[in-house]
Amino acid sequence: MNPHAKLISTMSLIMGTSITMSSNHWILAWTGLEVNTLAIIPLISKSHHPRAIEAAIKYFLTQSTASALILFSSLTNAWSTGQWDITQLNNPTSCLLLTMAIAIKLGLVPFHFWFPEVLQGSSMTTALLLSTLMKLPPITLLFMSSQSLNPALLTTLAISSALVGGWMGLNQTQTRKILAFSSISHLGWMIAIIIYDPHLTILTFALYSLMTTTMFLSLTQIKVLKLSTMLISWTKTPMLNATMMLALLSLAGLPPLTGFMPKWLIIQELTKQGMTPTATTITLLSLLGLFFYLRLAYHSTIMLPPNSSNHMKLWRTNKASNTPTAILSTLSISLLPMTPLITTMF
Amino acid sequence: MTYFVIFLGICFMLGVLAVASNPSPYYGVVGLVVASVVGCGWLVNLGVSFISLALFMVYLGGMLVVFVYSVSLAADPYPEAWGDWRVVGYGLGFIFVIYVGVVLGELVEYWKVGVLTVDSAGVFFVRLDFSGVAMFYSCGVGLLLVAGWGLLLVLFVVLELVRGLSRGAIRAV
Repeated sequence: MNPHAKLISTMSLIMGTSITMSSNHWILAWTGLEVNTLAIIPLISKSHHPRAIEAAIKYFLTQSTASALILFSSLTNAWSTGQWDITQLNNPTSCLLLTMAIAIKLGLVPFHFWFPEVLQGSSMTTALLLSTLMKLPPITLLFMSSQSLNPALLTTLAISSALVGGWMGLNQTQTRKILAFSSISHLGWMIAIIIYDPHLTILTFALYSLMTTTMFLSLTQIKVLKLSTMLISWTKTPMLNATMMLALLSLAGLPPLTGFMPKWLIIQELTKQGMTPTATTITLLSLLGLFFYLRLAYHSTIMLPPNSSNHMKLWRTNKASNTPTAILSTLSISLLPMTPLITTMF
Repeated sequence: MTYFVIFLGICFMLGVLAVASNPSPYYGVVGLVVASVVGCGWLVNLGVSFISLALFMVYLGGMLVVFVYSVSLAADPYPEAWGDWRVVGYGLGFIFVIYVGVVLGELVEYWKVGVLTVDSAGVFFVRLDFSGVAMFYSCGVGLLLVAGWGLLLVLFVVLELVRGLSRGAIRAV
């Protein structure tokens, strides 16, 4: 991609995210979201493949609809209450509109249909940006207005996201789509707890970003786009495949890895608030996700087709060592003992 | 006067419907013109005549003219006009959706006529829209820079999307 265009897009992404996250006025929050949408469109479509163009257009249409709904929500709230403060969203219609708009922006069920296709149409790095950075402003807006939102609606969105994310991920063979459905189910967990303890939502999002960045960077490094490529990638980078297995199990939420921390704290908080059926349901539904994470982990380390079992690693490799991947994978495997410290940070 | 404003509102919705019923751009731009002219009339009724003038000049006189010129370069051999069944179907469908939405959403309480706006009060000796534009350049300069960058970004994004492709459109290869 043209370096000047890439620079403008990247700087606009940073600017848009900062504007939305630091704003107290709805107009400025909306402006930041629009700048983000516009800036990432050329990044999605940079390969000019038909699939990438289609992904860019789908992304643009859904995000613009959601931005318009955010604008309508803030306008109706300003009309009835006379102020534009994000934390003072008192009109019930505005709260409903905002919840639906953020659901479209994040890719929560039933507005999740665009997300796997957009991720599949973009490159691995752009998919990483779409899963982590572009989710940060909407979650910030939800965090700031969480005290006025409808608990029943949010719990419904959460449980259905965990259900659909786990269930539809089962049939996927493309790694970007698997990570898309993993994102949908993790977002379900984040939304389940936002009424009761919004700081746990932020903690879950931060840890999810850490783990999914690890996965995306590892997959970019070995250029694995589908499961069949994953089967033979161990010969090139055996150590990376081993850490990728642990990172996948961490994403699945198994103790003693990092991914267990958000699930543990969320279940604890939900139970303390008397929402035990919700906690049980959402935990059982994440078992669906565990299956495809296990399948990915199995493919990355244990399968050995069509070679014999004493086949050796390729003796000539040109993969330079990647420091960020190493640091992030260490963090995404071993942060669980530091739960008390991390809980105080958020 | 009140009924004239309601009539302007109905014309605005018809103009938006004309754009959204997906005819070819040559016929859709008629809807855009109608909607923006009527929207300017609405703004004048609210009292913000400067904003209305700015919208008329920049939107109709600048954007729409440029749009018409660029659309005339990307010609369609068989454009969908108003009489096509697909366009009529879209129109009826949108009218139905709006009717259901208004009835179910119980939005009748928002149909108050006679919106009260405060034009100038206290230390504001000029009308609301003029002083607003002046504040845009003095204490609101951050928002001016952000909005200006957003508009410039649209230009760069569009240029990047169509760079190097034939006929200057966002086509799938």
